[in-house]
Amino acid sequence: MPFERILVAIDGSEASDRAFDKALELTALTGATLAALAVEGPLPAYAATVGEVEEVKREKDAFFSRLLTAAEEKAAASGVALETELRPGHAAELIVRVAGEWRADLIVLGHKGHFLRDHLLGSTADRVTEHADCPVMIVR
Amino acid sequence: MSELAIAVVLAGAILLASTISIELGISVALVELALGVVVGNAFDVGVPAWLVFIGSFAGIVLTFLAGAEVDVDQFRREWRASLGIGVVSFAAPFLVCTAFAYWALDWSADAAKIAGIALSTTSLAVVYSVLVETGLNQTAIGRRIMSATFVTDFGTAAALSILFVTPSLWIIAFAAVSASLILGLPRLSPWFFGRYGNRVIEPEIKLVFFALFLLMWLGERSNSHAVLPAFVLGLALSSHYATHRKEQERMRVVAFAFLTPLFFFKGGMNVSAAALWANLGVLGLLFAAKMVPKLAGVYPLARRYCAPHAAFTTLLMSTGLTFGTISSLFGLQAGIVDETQFSLLVAVVVLSAIVPTVIAQRLFQPTAAAEHARERALAVAEPVREAER
Repeated sequence: MPFERILVAIDGSEASDRAFDKALELTALTGATLAALAVEGPLPAYAATVGEVEEVKREKDAFFSRLLTAAEEKAAASGVALETELRPGHAAELIVRVAGEWRADLIVLGHKGHFLRDHLLGSTADRVTEHADCPVMIVR
Repeated sequence: MSELAIAVVLAGAILLASTISIELGISVALVELALGVVVGNAFDVGVPAWLVFIGSFAGIVLTFLAGAEVDVDQFRREWRASLGIGVVSFAAPFLVCTAFAYWALDWSADAAKIAGIALSTTSLAVVYSVLVETGLNQTAIGRRIMSATFVTDFGTAAALSILFVTPSLWIIAFAAVSASLILGLPRLSPWFFGRYGNRVIEPEIKLVFFALFLLMWLGERSNSHAVLPAFVLGLALSSHYATHRKEQERMRVVAFAFLTPLFFFKGGMNVSAAALWANLGVLGLLFAAKMVPKLAGVYPLARRYCAPHAAFTTLLMSTGLTFGTISSLFGLQAGIVDETQFSLLVAVVVLSAIVPTVIAQRLFQPTAAAEHARERALAVAEPVREAER
């Protein structure tokens, strides 16, 4: 089999939806095992109140919980078993780390294409491609 | 500029601060403080009396909320290990900064004490954000750091309330009313909130506001500050809020939508960019006066209680923001520090929110997964070691 363990990163964006669809297709074709990783991005930096942090955290938890449930339902409708994982932290760093921990042999992720930020800081896709130990599929 | 025109400028800037905060992922308070500096220095805008008044009240509400956000049960479990770190984290920079401001910078004794208090703080919110973001708040080390932060903040609140007291009969009234509210409100609140709570007219928030205004008035009459009783009152009600999250959320909505933006804007508007520019060397020295004793004092204890993450713990304990700003504003309003001294203190406070946090996150941050694994390994090894003994 070309791929046995596929990790797809999802964040609720259109690009990540397209990546998830491709990952489902690929999993169905190869009979691989599929895991979806959702990364809760950073909380407000240098917060002045615990309340501000807690409220943002609560909103993120609710959003990502809905996102993973929807992913599970979509995978089930396609006849694919899906493992899900939600982690807080830096997206590129966590995608690479979880891929290593989970022994993924392919990472699938979307590319949003934010012109200014990508040129100044580099995109998540760039960083994952640079640091991952396995093939990376970028879905545009 | 008329007062209404100032209100329009502030409301627009506060709205802008919220959007910038969301876009950049930076705390809204820091953006409000920064925009306050811009508005105060770029426009010919004085700080109006109404903003001084509302800002002062907002500072007390922030202090109350800080107390209400403390996890008392967690502190009870961790207090032995975190007490030493928390006390040293407050006392070392307080003594060094007070002495440095008094002898090296020739500030008055009271101004030096304000410097010591403002620069001794540890930001509970900055620490909490770093720990929650990484999941470390669920680990023993995360809980220990949070508890130590509470001890430091308590030291700051106590110093601000006690060090400037002038003996008078008002002190007795202030102490008696503070004790009555701290002991009485937690007992009264279940009945009061149950009978009058959960309504759009928000009697429960009005009850808290009444208590805080009363403390502010009595604090002013005693030449003291309501920050300590407000913090402890929040602490006394924290268990209630822990089981009544909706009430806490509504309180936060009122505070974040109206009060705290005015507090941080007021702080920013009082900062003189020209004074900072002219005193960059002093700014650097004051920053060092905060950081060096924090690092030197906390690190040995952190090695004992928070190994192997002593550097991470020490850096997080060196952060500061809200209580530092509250202390500096108290000094300015009471005429204890002048505009230049205030500007320097707030600038150091903001720097201390950013610099140690960035270093801790970039260089020393453990991962929650690794920390959980280490704790599990320790839990397995401990009975074996016990048996061997």
